[in-house]
Amino acid sequence: MGLEFLARVRRATFWVAAVAALMTATYATPLQALAVALGSGWSLVNLFLLERLIVALTGEQRGTRAALKPATRTLVGMLLLFAAGAFLLRRLPPAALMVGFFVPYAVLVLKALALLLLPSGLWRRLTRDPRLAALAMALAVAAVWLAFSPLRSRSETGSQPAAATTAAVAEPAAHAAHAAESGPEKFPNVITILHRAFPDAGWAEFLHHWEVIVFALLVALLLGLVARLASRNPKMIPEGLQNLVEALVEGLNDFITGILGQKHAARYVPFLGTLFIYIWAMNLFGLIPFMDSPTSNLNVTVALALTVFLYAQWIGLRGLGIVGYVDHLMGSPRNVTGWALVPLMLPIHVLGELAKPISLSCRLFGNIFGEDMLLVAFVSLGVTTLSFTHLPFGLPLQLPFLLLALLTSTLQALVFTVLSTIYFLLMLPHHDHEPGHEAEESLLEHSPI
Amino acid sequence: MNFQAALALGLPLGIGIAAIGSGIGLGLIGQGAMQAIGRQPEATAKIQLAMIIVAALAEALTIYAFVTMFLLSGKIQ
Repeated sequence: MGLEFLARVRRATFWVAAVAALMTATYATPLQALAVALGSGWSLVNLFLLERLIVALTGEQRGTRAALKPATRTLVGMLLLFAAGAFLLRRLPPAALMVGFFVPYAVLVLKALALLLLPSGLWRRLTRDPRLAALAMALAVAAVWLAFSPLRSRSETGSQPAAATTAAVAEPAAHAAHAAESGPEKFPNVITILHRAFPDAGWAEFLHHWEVIVFALLVALLLGLVARLASRNPKMIPEGLQNLVEALVEGLNDFITGILGQKHAARYVPFLGTLFIYIWAMNLFGLIPFMDSPTSNLNVTVALALTVFLYAQWIGLRGLGIVGYVDHLMGSPRNVTGWALVPLMLPIHVLGELAKPISLSCRLFGNIFGEDMLLVAFVSLGVTTLSFTHLPFGLPLQLPFLLLALLTSTLQALVFTVLSTIYFLLMLPHHDHEPGHEAEESLLEHSPI
Repeated sequence: MNFQAALALGLPLGIGIAAIGSGIGLGLIGQGAMQAIGRQPEATAKIQLAMIIVAALAEALTIYAFVTMFLLSGKIQ
């Protein structure tokens, strides 16, 4: 408690403000995002100066000449800060700026509330039973949903007449644009069917809009369920589901350890193994009738690839330090020739790093999407060959390609994992080479992909 | 010829050309890996790993052509 609490508030505020600014930049305008960021930054500085003033006035040296100097300096800083605030209020949208100002105070209030709530008996009684906690959580979410629903419906009805008139005017153009955007038609899945069955229901529209995320979360939920079932009462001699899951985990562990080496493996196997299992499950999910692979959408694969990219950069920065990281990007120059080649090597390495997530995401997306399109093409071919008989079925021409899809789904998950592992390996400190790993490294060290 | 006709003619052609290149590359990779496994069956696991990585790199080029085709095919009405 005390100053340490304020430091925690500052840290939390920083991240909350960054996320809020990014969200504003996405859903509103960049100017408003700038206002949110600057507003919360202003508020943070204000909080910091207040803290220093209070320390100077109430600290151990209060009343002495030594304490006077920081206090006056803080006061001058606050005057400057208020001038800056007035300038900001004049230049930037005030509403977004106010949101930014209130971010630290909201964080402060929420943290104080949490501190009050956590030691209380009510909280302990709630969290003792996971089922009770889940029920309370669901109730809280439902309450928030209901509290915000009048607001949402009002904004929808408010925007409807305007939307209707513009839609009436721009109907053909919008239709054409929609057709161009959606591209070739895929198999219908549960959500598209629901959306067609209830074209004006709000929840169906919501599901349809977030279709990919719903499926991705569903896959994650299923995986969590399987893991929970498999590890519920572990036995020394495994059988059934536990056996299967253990074999998979052990195989992945051995495989990744074989690439990364014994020393680093323990740290990165959980992430990489999860990546493999998750991508594999998502790829195979599209083969279940009325389901869709989340990975056949570029958004999901880009998200996965960005995670790997950021993690790899973080490994490099942590393992090598900033100097070592830049040195790594410059191709580790150790002599005159090396330094002379830096202007050439630096852009090549930077571009190579940036190309990695692009190629990872495009490869996975293209393979899974292409597989879906292939199945659609062969199903429609099978239907058209029998269309002269007017029977309600077609030739099952897609069967061999379903087997192929099983193969590519596994292979692409494996390729994604292996390439991520190798990107990690390239970022790990180089001096402790174990024999047998130079092959993969030299294979990929200077490859642009 | 308007640009849509040009796209409709060019996109499948482009993907085909990319596939030829990838196919040659994949064939060479497969040949090399099979020969290596034939000479040293005990190193199969390592050779397969390297083969899969390089095959993924070679195959990615066709996938880029495919993604480009998918992005541009929306412009054909």
